[in-house]
Amino acid sequence: MRNVIEANGLKLAYPRHEPVIKSATYQVQTGEFVFITGASGSGKSTLLKSMYGSMPLAGGELQVGGIDMNAISGAKLYKLRRHIGIIFQDYKLIREWSVEKNVMLPLIIAGFPKDVCRAQAQKLLTHVKLSHKSDRYPPELSGGEQQRVAMARALAHNPFLILADEPTGNLDDYSSQVVWDLLERANEELETTILVVTHHIPDMFSADYRHLMIENGVLYEIH
Amino acid sequence: MRSIRHHLALILPLFAILFSIEYLLVFDRIIDRYETKLKENYSLILVADRSVKLSEITHSDTLIRKIEPIDAQQVLQKIKGQMDRESLEKIRSIMPLFVSIKLRRYAERERIERLKSELMSIDGVKAVHIFEKVHDRLYAMLLFMKTGLVVFGSLIGLISLLLLMKQMTIWQFEHRERMQIMALFGAPVWLRSGVLFRLALVDAIFALVAVAAVMLYLVNDPEVDGLLRGIGVEPEVLLRLDDIAVLAGASFAIALLSAAWVVIRFKEEQ
Repeated sequence: MRNVIEANGLKLAYPRHEPVIKSATYQVQTGEFVFITGASGSGKSTLLKSMYGSMPLAGGELQVGGIDMNAISGAKLYKLRRHIGIIFQDYKLIREWSVEKNVMLPLIIAGFPKDVCRAQAQKLLTHVKLSHKSDRYPPELSGGEQQRVAMARALAHNPFLILADEPTGNLDDYSSQVVWDLLERANEELETTILVVTHHIPDMFSADYRHLMIENGVLYEIH
Repeated sequence: MRSIRHHLALILPLFAILFSIEYLLVFDRIIDRYETKLKENYSLILVADRSVKLSEITHSDTLIRKIEPIDAQQVLQKIKGQMDRESLEKIRSIMPLFVSIKLRRYAERERIERLKSELMSIDGVKAVHIFEKVHDRLYAMLLFMKTGLVVFGSLIGLISLLLLMKQMTIWQFEHRERMQIMALFGAPVWLRSGVLFRLALVDAIFALVAVAAVMLYLVNDPEVDGLLRGIGVEPEVLLRLDDIAVLAGASFAIALLSAAWVVIRFKEEQ
């Protein structure tokens, strides 16, 4: 198994602020399911952002998919992102696009023909039990439904890595169950590497996983 | 409704800029036509001894296009019946030479005066008479109006550009979230800003059509027609095909630069 993510002495800081992450050394291998926990403001989301290039490094080394995130340029970064699926706590759906088009987004970016994008979007919307709402717009959906759409979008292009930031933070039990089931299935059936940032690991989660925790700006391996 | 308002916020300033450009082009053409007409009608009549060399007059100033001696026979023909043949011959022998001078271009008053004094310095030239003083004043007024129009047009252009920039800031705010999300999924610049450029192009076309429609209306308006014909200018000067090309170029360039400004100013959030 090869390393999908590799960090050595990683340091992250917002401009004119003390470092949020003082030191993080970790490796994530292909097909692993990893939870990163920590208290509010501990730097969990910041750590995740560094993995998709939204947070410049203040020190140390970070490689994602074999690409050095320290020296990554605009075009190269966008290319990397086309192979990553991201799930945000606030869903980040395009409000003026239909549910189906939102799911199609990574496929449109990858340059697939429209009918292929549409067929794949419909398949995933069926998985998240929202095929009957494919022509609706995000503001017409509940929070749980929006997150399921975001989930379908993250899986649409069969990414090698899924990064999820508090994916069930605002969801009801049913929607949370759908999200965890889909993440587990993607991990088991497609060997997709999954990194989830959360306050606590859900009780309903039964599969094998690794647990990392951030405390006082330092990342620890729990198990 | 909101979408129409947002389109109008770009179309109206663009319309104002294009209309100013078109008006300047039209005014320039009216003055040009009027100048041609003046040049044709503006004549200087030179009175000289019959001994004067015509080639000397022709080459005395570069402003002279051609000279035409005026035939005295017509005048003599009119008084033929009132006097005997001997008197008529005497008049013919003492009559000076009248020469009509045509100019290459319409010149200002000072230049004409300089030409006059040059002509007067030629041996045998007795007098130089300038006609069309009324035209000269109208021309001066047209030039004054053109200067005013340039100042006014520039002000309208500047205000419209400021309005455009304000609208672009609104666009930037409106499209930021979508562009942000698309960037997070790796969309290249052309894909995430495509909609902006499409909007800009559509609005540029609308503004162009609106200006052409107004100018077409003016071309066919009897009052405007009368006004232009009154100063001897054909109403066709109001709209020409090459104007459309200039306006289309300006419209697309301004709209696309505005969209590019939004794209350049886009920064990914941390």
